Amino acid sequence: MGEHLTFIGSVTAQLVRAVPVTLLILAVSGVCATVLATGLTAMSVARSPLPRLVQRTWTFLFRGTPLILQIFMIYYGFAMVPWIRHGILWAAFRDPVFCTCLAMTCCCSAYIAEIFRGALAAVPRGEIEAGRACGMTGFMLLRRVIAPSLIRIALPSYSNEIIMMTKSTSLASTITVLDITGVAQQVIAHSYRTLEVFCAAAALYLLINATLSTLLTALERRLDVDRAPTPLAPIPPTLEPLS
Amino acid sequence: MMDDLAILGFGPDGWAPLLLKGCLLTLAVSAASMAIGTVLGILLAWARLKGPRWLRRAALVYGVILRGVPELLVILLLYFGLPSLILSLSETFGWEAPGLPPPFLIGSVSVGLVSAAYQAEIFRGGVGAIPRGQFEAARAMGFSDLMCFHRIVLPQVARVVLPALGNVWQFNLKDSALIAVTGLSELMRTSLVAAGSTRHPFLFFGVAMALYLVLTTLSSTAFHYGGRYSNRWDRG
Amino acid sequence: MSKTLRGAVLGLAILLSLQAARAADVPAQQARRTVVIGTEGAFPPWNMTRPDGSLIGFEPDLLQVLCQRANLQCQLVAQDWDGMIGALQAHKIDVIADALQITPARKAVLAFSLPYAITTGVFVTQKDSPLARMANRGLVLDLDASPAPERQAQALAALREELRGKTLGVAISSTYDAFLDKYLAGVITIKSYRTMGERDLDLLSGRIDLTLDDTTYLRPLLAAPDAQDLVLVGPELIGGELGAGEGFGLRQDDTALAERLNAAIRSAVADGTVKRLSLKWFKADATPDLGPDPTSTPSGTPKP
Repeated sequence: MGEHLTFIGSVTAQLVRAVPVTLLILAVSGVCATVLATGLTAMSVARSPLPRLVQRTWTFLFRGTPLILQIFMIYYGFAMVPWIRHGILWAAFRDPVFCTCLAMTCCCSAYIAEIFRGALAAVPRGEIEAGRACGMTGFMLLRRVIAPSLIRIALPSYSNEIIMMTKSTSLASTITVLDITGVAQQVIAHSYRTLEVFCAAAALYLLINATLSTLLTALERRLDVDRAPTPLAPIPPTLEPLS
Repeated sequence: MMDDLAILGFGPDGWAPLLLKGCLLTLAVSAASMAIGTVLGILLAWARLKGPRWLRRAALVYGVILRGVPELLVILLLYFGLPSLILSLSETFGWEAPGLPPPFLIGSVSVGLVSAAYQAEIFRGGVGAIPRGQFEAARAMGFSDLMCFHRIVLPQVARVVLPALGNVWQFNLKDSALIAVTGLSELMRTSLVAAGSTRHPFLFFGVAMALYLVLTTLSSTAFHYGGRYSNRWDRG
Repeated sequence: MSKTLRGAVLGLAILLSLQAARAADVPAQQARRTVVIGTEGAFPPWNMTRPDGSLIGFEPDLLQVLCQRANLQCQLVAQDWDGMIGALQAHKIDVIADALQITPARKAVLAFSLPYAITTGVFVTQKDSPLARMANRGLVLDLDASPAPERQAQALAALREELRGKTLGVAISSTYDAFLDKYLAGVITIKSYRTMGERDLDLLSGRIDLTLDDTTYLRPLLAAPDAQDLVLVGPELIGGELGAGEGFGLRQDDTALAERLNAAIRSAVADGTVKRLSLKWFKADATPDLGPDPTSTPSGTPKP
């Protein structure tokens, strides 16, 4: 029993050292995906058809295929493309962490853009008209009227997407990244003790997700100006409709 | 170019038959996990809504864990852990050791367990969307619980949850790619083996992506027409 | 009561048939047993998957002979290497046939059959890498030679210096883990891959500097047209942590199966079947030296 606890202790210590890798992938791809999603949302309401087509194709491509396949495509597939393999981009593409971040940015931006798009459509028309009536135009209208409403409406679904992204970072382990899952598998390869190691890893992910969702819920409360008893959550948790 | 055609074709060196078989296996394992998820999801939703206190707690904890742990870990845990669990159970109780679960079963159960956590939320939300007044009215009319479920809950919940279930199906379909780590030759695994042994990863992963797009598009179209629902996000 | 009776009758029957068999001086005809054999199906030329899904290679060929001789109903299943030992311990498979070297580390968790082949480990790198000029090319380094002769100690020291700071890719929990831990820990960065195919792709793309694997796997790889940029370098390794040949991995309590397979392996080595198949698949003779058979000594002592 004592040996058992010692083993779990040492495994947990090893896994904790991999937490920064997981968080790095999450932070980089989270920020990049959100920025990209904002751009995609803008494209989706563009007047000319071309940006709208680009946004729809992007969404179709990245939401219609598994993330693990996208990661393999970027990591192994692109490495065989001569101009990437022998070009200046190779410095980035040879790094599996970069490949994971790139794949997650592309994939998650498609999901987040759909959340933003839905929220944009749900911003009350009246508010925008009122803003216009007050003489606001363009950026001012966006900053003062549309964005605050949009963020409030999108936040619950956005929080769910961030949790989904945390879980997705584990896929980095399939392309040699030593994140939490990667280290867990490495430990198992040496100790052959699967149950304890995976449970310790699962506990770490739960801890990260619990922290994130506490923070995001606090943010939701803070932004909830109406203090409505039930926050607006038109979409069931983590389930964004596929186009 | 001719090489590409040969390794993608139906000839002796072509991977087409295996890739198509992989597609079927992906569909089968997704369907199995969806079914497991629906049954378990309904039970969990019932536990959350009507169960005794301890069961409500248990269902809640289940949802928190299965929605907070990466699917990949759930699959790996079940893949390595389940057989030894079955074995030690059968030893403890003196049963004859049952046949050990094949990767297909382990894969569909693990994706199904995750799916159930999400489906439970959907069903719970679906029941919650029915105005309380209707239950009161039913009681006033002398409806039994079963009749209430059959006449009031089922027809309305089905309409409300169908779009959401369509989404879960899409997630199942994509999560099934993770079962590749157990060695089950579904589409992802087949394309990986093909990419590794022919050393044409771009070609095979590209083909696999196209095949997944076909699967997701076809099934979302099916859900679209089958459910006859529409909301602003759904464009088939 | 009937259960006890049936057991007794069955026991008696077995005893009688064994006696009869021994009396007639023919090998005891053991009951036919169904055995599930796990193989990677992605480790040519030992085992590989054809596009139609069937498994071919040295091991499938050899197993066909061995199973028949050991009266086993064998079912060959493809399975990722990193889950192989877990699958065995979980009774999902009964035998691992995946060019498994018999190493001290693995003996701690597995039982092994007799070796059915013996091969060396070798490094592969890209032709334009500085490692392409590694010393001691072709020298066979037997890690079991103790005390290590001067030449070998020097070769190992040279290896450490040449590989300092390099990245080496291996398949998850390969035989080479223990060797790398002992001789190259802290000197190189190790990357683990789920399958050989993935590792090879990264070797070709240059994400890893080199790999260490079995000659029987690497020689055919280097002959492939798209692997022209790769080259075999450095000494060939054998013995010690790298093991004494390839054997079937078994559960430690499954001694009955080990005995049946061992007898079959002996006969296949003795009549040249192993040599024929290794020439067919490896283009070299990998027949192991099994020494004298303890069970067929002239005195004919029966097994305990």
